[in-house]
Amino acid sequence: MKKPKNSIQNISCEEAIQRIFPYIDNYLQGKSRTELEHHLETCRHCFDRVEFEKLLKARLRNLHAQKKSDLLEKKIEELVDRF
Amino acid sequence: MTKEEQLEFKTLVLPHLEELHRVAYHLCNVRYNAEDLVMEAIVKACENFHTLREKTKIKHWLLRILSNTFISTYRAQKNVRMIEYTETSNDDDDTFSLFAELSQPFLLWWGNPERELVNKLMDEEIQKAISELPLDFRIAVVLCDVDGLSYDEISKMIDVPIGTVRSRIARGRSLLQKKLYHYAQDLGLTHAKRHTHEKAEELHTEHKL
Repeated sequence: MKKPKNSIQNISCEEAIQRIFPYIDNYLQGKSRTELEHHLETCRHCFDRVEFEKLLKARLRNLHAQKKSDLLEKKIEELVDRF
Repeated sequence: MTKEEQLEFKTLVLPHLEELHRVAYHLCNVRYNAEDLVMEAIVKACENFHTLREKTKIKHWLLRILSNTFISTYRAQKNVRMIEYTETSNDDDDTFSLFAELSQPFLLWWGNPERELVNKLMDEEIQKAISELPLDFRIAVVLCDVDGLSYDEISKMIDVPIGTVRSRIARGRSLLQKKLYHYAQDLGLTHAKRHTHEKAEELHTEHKL
């Protein structure tokens, strides 16, 4: 019997984990993404892992950086003027 | 550079200074080095400004110069800790996961120890862990996670295939999570796991009685 064209293939947790980083980075597209999202609907463990990786990514995105010194911009302007 | 070029350069570059400094800071983790790195990158940008064809892409062009300057200038410096690695290394650093190490799915009602850990870690501890990553992994993680660039942008910026970017980000994150786990252990922040295990065992024993 032929498989319906739109059927989504079930993937294992191991396969899902391989796709998690490109998924949270919005790089995973098409069939690979659909398969992972389908897996996440049914696997609580992988779903939680994705949520955790998103949380950690957001934590890094919001890391505090020391402010540049007020003199940096002035130093750069002076540097450019010498070129 | 003519006066007009100098003015154009300043107009195009200065709005990105804060972001350049932020990336430099997370690559170097010391403010003095970060400003030094930005200055060196600006010198190279001035020298090569005439080669920039698409002015709308100046931010990526500057970040590319900054990354390359970081690699070439800072690789040899003694105050920048370097850890050598190979692209084909197979140790367990590549697959380490904080989630796998800490999550307690059967103890859901006692919270999420892995989430608590991420919230408890101080920025300084995370920054230190980033600064200890091998150079290529650090650049990939900083550009992707701290600066929010896409795989495609990073690939063009550091001139490596997308597959390599993807692999460096994955391995960089695994290494980073391993380092964060060790910090958390040192700081006693991983007690939650043992604590919840103990609670589970107590409950299990009570239930049997």
